[in-house]
Amino acid sequence: MKNKTNQITLTYILISLFVAIICHKLLQNSTYDTNYQNYNFIKDLLFITFTGIAYKLILSKNDNRNSEIFEKLKNTNDEIKESNEKYDIVAKATSDTIWDWKIQEDSLTWNKGIEVIFGYSQDEVGSSSTWWFEKIHPEDSIKMSIKLYSFIEQKTENWQDQYRFKCANGSYKYVLDRGFLLKDEEGKAIRMIGAIQDITKQKEEEQRLKLLETVITQSKDSIIITEADSKNTRIPKIIYVNPAFSIMSGYHSDEIIGKTPNIFKGPNSDQQEYKKLISALKKKQECLIETISYKKNKEEYWVRFSMVPVYNTENELSHWVSIQRDVSEEKKQEKEKEQLIRELTQNNKDLKQFSYITSHNLRAPLSNLTGLLNLIEDIPIENQELSEIINGFSKSTHLLNDTINDLVKVIIIKDNPSIKKEDVPLNEIFENVFSQLSFQIELHKPIIKLNFEKVSVLNTNKAYFESILINLLTNSLKYKSESRKLKITITANQTDDTVYLIFKDNGIGIDLERNRDKVFGLYQRFHNYPDSKGLGLYLVKSQVETMGGTISIDSEVNKGTTFTLTFKNKQ
Amino acid sequence: MLEQILCVDDDPITLMLCKKVIVKASFSKEIITSQNGEEALQYFNTLKYANTEHPTKKHPQLIFLDLNMPVMGGWEFLDHFNSLEFSEFKNIKVIVLSSTIDPEDIEKSKTYPMVIDFLSKPITSTMLEYLKNKL
Repeated sequence: MKNKTNQITLTYILISLFVAIICHKLLQNSTYDTNYQNYNFIKDLLFITFTGIAYKLILSKNDNRNSEIFEKLKNTNDEIKESNEKYDIVAKATSDTIWDWKIQEDSLTWNKGIEVIFGYSQDEVGSSSTWWFEKIHPEDSIKMSIKLYSFIEQKTENWQDQYRFKCANGSYKYVLDRGFLLKDEEGKAIRMIGAIQDITKQKEEEQRLKLLETVITQSKDSIIITEADSKNTRIPKIIYVNPAFSIMSGYHSDEIIGKTPNIFKGPNSDQQEYKKLISALKKKQECLIETISYKKNKEEYWVRFSMVPVYNTENELSHWVSIQRDVSEEKKQEKEKEQLIRELTQNNKDLKQFSYITSHNLRAPLSNLTGLLNLIEDIPIENQELSEIINGFSKSTHLLNDTINDLVKVIIIKDNPSIKKEDVPLNEIFENVFSQLSFQIELHKPIIKLNFEKVSVLNTNKAYFESILINLLTNSLKYKSESRKLKITITANQTDDTVYLIFKDNGIGIDLERNRDKVFGLYQRFHNYPDSKGLGLYLVKSQVETMGGTISIDSEVNKGTTFTLTFKNKQ
Repeated sequence: MLEQILCVDDDPITLMLCKKVIVKASFSKEIITSQNGEEALQYFNTLKYANTEHPTKKHPQLIFLDLNMPVMGGWEFLDHFNSLEFSEFKNIKVIVLSSTIDPEDIEKSKTYPMVIDFLSKPITSTMLEYLKNKL
């Protein structure tokens, strides 16, 4: 540069000298005054020298300035180049989708994200903003465009928005779009650059958490979350309560947060239960307690609540979660039930006592009558009429005695719910029964078929089982048909551990159409026989049921009756 | 045949019946009766004092005891009779003779060592035959 300045200055000086020498020669030829000529020449030389120096100064100064500007331009250029390179690298490296919108020309370009994330190939991507807007979910597009245009018109400071963006396969992705504006000298927006971030996963997680949160907010059970550390307050501080809790306790959530659940305790709270809770807290174990609690207005209510420790990923206790329920109504019902059971038990006891006393008071004079009649038997009576009277007296007394003894049996069966059972061979029982009834069997000579090879041993109460058989057999004998020979078939079968005993006769039967409900009832008689008291089947049913069995009847008038008994036979 | 027995019952008919049946069956030579537990205890008390003067004085060998009686019932009598106060009579056997059907009464009677049986009224000659064999 310096050289160039020197060159130009030198050239100027040489040319000026050359002109000055020529002018001097010409002047020598036209004039003769040599002094004047020399003086003029020296003046020219001086002038040339001065102008040459001035020229050089001006030039070199200009030159310096030029070189500075050049340097500056070069730097700026480098910076832009570097920045562009960075932009390219970032645009390539980022997972965001970058767009660049020249607003005046309405031309939009996208980076490769539009392909990688949303699946659009290069030729599918439109080049104007319309293409972009078309891809925004219709429900989001209006809200989004309002916000965007108010930003472009610079009514708002910055712009970012969440909306759903359509993918090439038609599905939508939640995106977060952030952008900034480039303005010209007049401050008019000319270009906008933005970055779209796929937040579908976060959004889905957010929605999932929101859904899970509804469990807490919508639950009818109260939920409390407390700190992990119990420190001096013994029961840790509350950090969250759900709306159901506020409804239950009357405390608004901001009145209760930071307090300890001790404030629900009151004079009638169960100290034992609270001790249980505190020891569970110490041991970091979950627990379930029931106690009286107090509402904000000091009203009492029964609460059943659990305390469950919650651990973080480092396996440290982070919180306690407590689920509580107002069980006042349940408690009330439970109390009423207990009261009812108490009353019923007492009533039952009283009635039992009453029946014992009544039977005792009936039996005492009756036993005297029987005893006295026994004495009379040994005294000979001459008077015929007196003998008849005493005979009737004796019969009635014995009948009364039988009736009362039967009733006593009923009372004792009803009072004896758990009776002793033993394994008894069936044929042994039948032998016993037949020997007891030998007189009647001999009298009527029925055909009796026994078929119980399949069940040899029955787990039963021997006395009851014999009584059942005697009752059924005497009924068959008593109510046999006069027109045909009595036939009794007794069959025993067993499936699994259930024994079926089928007792069948061909007697006069019972009209079940009319009497089904009454067959096994107390004092129900279906035939007008003198010694029928209507007690036998009632006793049978009581005894069968006391042993855990069932009895059912099938009968047809003048054809016969079949009883089916079932018992559980322990293997 | 026993020398002496005591029947405790509030019902005069029962006592009359007892006497007649016992006499008829030749079960005991002498029959003493009391209307309730207290009367029976008084009888034993007098026996106690009499014994100190005449040690040879006999006492009942067997008691027929009813349970339901006014003033003092059978259980209360047994409680007193079982105490040290009457320890000198501990050889006397007791038969509970009652019309009760309450199974608890039978169970309760087994807790008294002197009660040897629990029988249902009325007293009969068969019953006395059975007792003769048992004693």
